[in-house]
Amino acid sequence: MGKKKILAMSGLALLGAVTLFIAAPTVAMAGEDIGPLPKRKAPKASMVEMGKRLFYDARISGDGAISCATCHDPRKGFGDGQPLSKAYPGSDYFRNSATLLNVVYKSGFSDVGWGWDGRMGSSLNDVMRDQITETTILNLDMRILHERMKQDPTYVKMCKENFNGECSSGKARKALIAYVETLVSTGDAPFDKGNMSKDAKAGMKLFKGKAGCIKCHNGSYFSDGKPHNTGVAENLEVFKNAVRHATYRAVLTTYGVPKGGQWRRDVGYFFTSKKYADVGKFITPTLRELKYTAPYMHNGTIKSLKDVVEFYNNGGGHDDPLARELKKLGLSSGEKKQLVAFLESLSSPKQPGKIDPPKIPQEYPVIEDWLNKKN
Amino acid sequence: MNKRIYKVALPLMVVTCLAFLMAASSTFAKGDPDFDPPLAPLGPVPDPMDNSMTPEKIELGKMLYFDPKISGDASLACVDCHHPEQGWGFNEPICRGYPGTVHWRNCQTVVNTGYLNKVFWAGSTTSLEKQAKSAAQGGVAGNGELDVMDERLRQTPEYVELFRKVYGAEQPNVRPLAYMAIAAFERGALSQVGKWESPLDKYLKGKKSALSKKAVKGMKLFEGKANCIECHNGPMLTDEKFYNIGVPRPEEWETIGLNQITFRFELYAKGVYEDKYRNYKDDLGLYFQTKQKKDLGKFRTAPLRYLKYTAPYMHAGQFFTLEEVIDFYNDGGGENDFTKKYGTKTKILKPLGLTDGEKEALVAFLEEISGKEIKIGSVKVPKMKPFPDVKRLTQKKAKITGIEFYLDAQGIKY
Repeated sequence: MGKKKILAMSGLALLGAVTLFIAAPTVAMAGEDIGPLPKRKAPKASMVEMGKRLFYDARISGDGAISCATCHDPRKGFGDGQPLSKAYPGSDYFRNSATLLNVVYKSGFSDVGWGWDGRMGSSLNDVMRDQITETTILNLDMRILHERMKQDPTYVKMCKENFNGECSSGKARKALIAYVETLVSTGDAPFDKGNMSKDAKAGMKLFKGKAGCIKCHNGSYFSDGKPHNTGVAENLEVFKNAVRHATYRAVLTTYGVPKGGQWRRDVGYFFTSKKYADVGKFITPTLRELKYTAPYMHNGTIKSLKDVVEFYNNGGGHDDPLARELKKLGLSSGEKKQLVAFLESLSSPKQPGKIDPPKIPQEYPVIEDWLNKKN
Repeated sequence: MNKRIYKVALPLMVVTCLAFLMAASSTFAKGDPDFDPPLAPLGPVPDPMDNSMTPEKIELGKMLYFDPKISGDASLACVDCHHPEQGWGFNEPICRGYPGTVHWRNCQTVVNTGYLNKVFWAGSTTSLEKQAKSAAQGGVAGNGELDVMDERLRQTPEYVELFRKVYGAEQPNVRPLAYMAIAAFERGALSQVGKWESPLDKYLKGKKSALSKKAVKGMKLFEGKANCIECHNGPMLTDEKFYNIGVPRPEEWETIGLNQITFRFELYAKGVYEDKYRNYKDDLGLYFQTKQKKDLGKFRTAPLRYLKYTAPYMHAGQFFTLEEVIDFYNDGGGENDFTKKYGTKTKILKPLGLTDGEKEALVAFLEEISGKEIKIGSVKVPKMKPFPDVKRLTQKKAKITGIEFYLDAQGIKY
């Protein structure tokens, strides 16, 4: 290869890096130090109102039985408090319902897909679309959503106000994103305020040093946005419960995962990459607001932060021959306590966004004088 | 060519032509637009070469027909909208549809549909196999999706065994195998043949006592003065052609919010131009397929067998009784959004001037030919079960299942 060519290529790489940086100004790059979350531009209040109404409205599911808040409950850290989420009637889900708190910060990563395995695309708009239309989640035809909104005078008003147009599923997605934008930490966590306890401070040192947590949980979002296999035990419920297993296999089929019928483990990032080396990898989750989002891990198999620390102290899970990144940490019981104290200091004293789910009327008023109105 | 053949063939041809002209002149007598085949008994049920019926397949189809696994939230089966106690249809004007929605047309009976070449009210589908697909997967019908429904069947041991037996299939699938079995069940078990043979068939085969005097009088009116035979002819009492007879718009669309949603959804989903979506307030019928203005509001002639059990009538259940239907025709049909504006109403309909006695006779005919109610007893739906190999599944086993070859290739010990 000629020198010129190499020069040109490194230039390109630099340009790439710069672009990446410009495109992702809100989140610290992988490997960077931990720190406070950057402020995000606040969405329009009226848009948030519309998104909030949609979020708690069960008419956003095919059979009108569940809303976003069914699995992302504002009283349970915007997860559902269960190891595995319930999801759409007739199809119990095979993963833990991840918190939505601070999830918008993921949009700063250019190479991370949403969901535990990254298969949900890398634009929040796509994620919203998938959540609404996927058969095992909300199972609603987007065109029905469009028409349901057009039938509800409140949405009609909200669409007019926010978009100066008639309701559509695209507008619903934009509004939902605006609401999720508000589900962020407010900077009140001891870590952000700088009023951590002595234990927590010691825990932070361990986090960055001996325990090595920072290798993956880094940046202001406490995630490198990359998939790793830590050897978390399988939640065998996914394989022993026929309904859950059918859901798992159906999703494997939908995503074209090879050997759909054989797996007795969650293939994780293999869903997205289809590389066997990625089997069992899951994208590093954020550690913020952790106090409110138990149980932990992609399949909810670890109940408490204490158990999580114990899990890592043991070098992760050992049954999985593919889990090779972690080593035993040799933490003393005092050090473990300090680590837990630090993890807790990443949570706000009061859970952000906590409300009692508002009740949204579920009927569809008739359009009066229908014959003389345009559809 | 041999002259002797001419000598025989020529007169023969003349005779044939004359006979045909005479026959035609009688059927076209009243300015008929087309040839009307006479009423006829049902022949054997059509048995498509690409989905032939076997007793095992029919039995499998029966289970699937009653199984809610073939829907989005596993809460409703074919039977929920095509119920044996509701004439294998649904006894409300507009069908119930998927939970959280309502349908937009009347649910038709499944009985004898194996004989039809066009199904759905606007004849948009040509086979029961395809009908099953639309019903199971449509947003306001079954709202099911294949991957999920497939897996539900695959995780049901009885189905795995039956699909193997019936099709030699490695594992069950919904499309096409489940839909094929359902269609086979509908043809094989829900046709008016054998023990379900209707009085009409018996009568037409020569057993004159099968119909009452009143019904026979009704039949004569049907074929004559009332001219029903113009469209309702042949063994299925339908010519399967399309007409706008001026059935009025269902009032639900004007008065119920949920129905308005579905109405707009159908316009949207079936893909009409925006001006049609914005302005039309009635069922476009055949137009959805042809996009020709002349087809606005046209529906396929409905078959009239099993009618007694399938009220209400018309494409959105506009009439509750047969008396109402006959009054409607006696008035020469009606008007809807498209009859006046686009002149798509059929010219066939004219006021009939039937007396009360004649109307009663017509109703008697239609009711009597409905025959016995088809009952098949209760059906047990098989349950999903975990795969047998997971009973003693350990963590270690779980972690290596599916990647053994990869671990070997990488030289990773496990």
